[in-house]
Amino acid sequence: MGDFVIQTQGLSKTYKQTNALQSLDLAVHHNSIFGFLGPNGAGKTTTIKLMLGLIRPTAGSATIFGMDSVRQSVDIRARTGYLPQEPHFYEHMTARQTLRFTARFFFKGPQKALEERIDEMLDLVDLADKADRQIKSFSGGERQRLGIAQAQVNYPDLLILDEPAASLDPLGRRDMLEVMSKLRKYTTIFYSTHILDDVQRVSDTVVILNKGKLVAQGPIEELLAGSEGVIYIVHLKGDVEGAASLVQSQPWVSGIKTGQHNDETTWQVSVSDPAVAEAQLLKLLVNGPVLVTEFHRKQYELEDIFIQVIEGGQNGRK
Amino acid sequence: MAGNSAFELVSERGWRRGLGNLLDNEFGSWWKTSLWWIQTLIWVGVIGFMLSAVVFGAKESIDTVVTIYCVFAGLFPAVAVVIVMQDAVVGEKQTGTAAWVLSKPASRPAFILSKLAADSVGVLVTMVILPGIVAYALMWFGTGSQLDPLAFLEGLAVIWLFQLFFLAFTLMLGTFFNNRGPVIGIPLALLFFQQYLIGLIPPTNYLLPWTLVVPLNNQTDAMVPHLLLGQPIGSYLQLFLIAAEIVIFVLIALWRFEREEF
Repeated sequence: MGDFVIQTQGLSKTYKQTNALQSLDLAVHHNSIFGFLGPNGAGKTTTIKLMLGLIRPTAGSATIFGMDSVRQSVDIRARTGYLPQEPHFYEHMTARQTLRFTARFFFKGPQKALEERIDEMLDLVDLADKADRQIKSFSGGERQRLGIAQAQVNYPDLLILDEPAASLDPLGRRDMLEVMSKLRKYTTIFYSTHILDDVQRVSDTVVILNKGKLVAQGPIEELLAGSEGVIYIVHLKGDVEGAASLVQSQPWVSGIKTGQHNDETTWQVSVSDPAVAEAQLLKLLVNGPVLVTEFHRKQYELEDIFIQVIEGGQNGRK
Repeated sequence: MAGNSAFELVSERGWRRGLGNLLDNEFGSWWKTSLWWIQTLIWVGVIGFMLSAVVFGAKESIDTVVTIYCVFAGLFPAVAVVIVMQDAVVGEKQTGTAAWVLSKPASRPAFILSKLAADSVGVLVTMVILPGIVAYALMWFGTGSQLDPLAFLEGLAVIWLFQLFFLAFTLMLGTFFNNRGPVIGIPLALLFFQQYLIGLIPPTNYLLPWTLVVPLNNQTDAMVPHLLLGQPIGSYLQLFLIAAEIVIFVLIALWRFEREEF
């Protein structure tokens, strides 16, 4: 229990006839950046709202900092920062007033320290020059940045961000990822997104939800290794049939998929022992009757994994 | 929390968690915005204008003036109370600000009670006391009869109770519905049709606030004119029951809001 900031067991939520979330088991380590992926309607926001006690589970439980999300939700929120998917603030307030209002849920004072923290947050999200403008004049991106600031104003032990980059331009996204990376040493970050590139850049653990079910979970490196095992990509020319027989006869080779483009053949060589393959595969080929024009281990993009598990219907965990 | 040693943490716990901050915010929405003076201007203007017409135009007796004042001071601001209060909960549910506030360490009772407290005081000052002071002066100078100030305050307190009935009722409905129609429509229907209900079922006279401010079919005197004129009132049962209903509406609102999902 002590190692995990978030744990859910069989967490489920049903709305009338719809299973928004089905028996979710999660464990999120301290100081990790936990990417929570899934298509629209997968149950990401529902999970976040359950963790914050904004909605009640139909079955199962969630504990945050070892506290129950239903009975101790206020205490959980006292240590959490939250950015909703579509942040809504009081339109008549300015950005500074919004941060002051937020900070006062956590801190009584001193006033000077509060104001310094508010200025720090306004600088962080580049809203210092708009600090005293009413929110009703803010653009979507400015509201999102204010949302990020208000989520961090209390130095949260856990930062929950629901689609934090949704309304940001590429520069804003880059800045936000930098902020997240910097905050890692102080806090645990749990964030949902559909921008897979961001997840691949900053997350250390990833969960993929689909239709309310967990379909993949694991450290990012493991997921990026792919579910097909280790594969080497070889581009070659010459007597590929002879070379193929030689490679296929090796005990550590589990299969070869062949493709052809002009006079060049491409192999996808699946191996059961990556270490031996790395040492011997290229050596076998360069000594044979073929010309190797390219050789590398297949690298997966998170997008490949995501599409594979969502469209492939993989319902087991990685 | 990392890096917060410079700060003094909020000490409220349980249902009071976040109450101080929410109260500041709700009172601020009355007194740090244009709401207070707009409401004051409207009700001083409406009540002052109507009373001026009765006092200086028709030159009615003090008894008639007081009765007419009670109708205006009771029924019309109640419409504004309903409109202000429907926005308090349903408005915040619809705009998403309620969900945002409740994602902070704020208890749900604190959210409801802060609105109840700030709006009750806002209504008291802008719709009861300030128009009441103007009405008192107009009655004094217009009729030449000075009413007992303490008796007048008692009357204003009962007018406030009348408004609180609709305030708490609308607040309660706001916790049940997610759209504004029923939250405005039901209290306004009750406000204007309660006299017919009392006609159909006479004992409801004790449960509904109508006869606090308006005489029933010119047969039963209303309570507030008696108080304003310093005359004794027959029974406090209606006052007690209306106050109890207000408490019940608030308790139901707290219970329902605790179960609300955002």
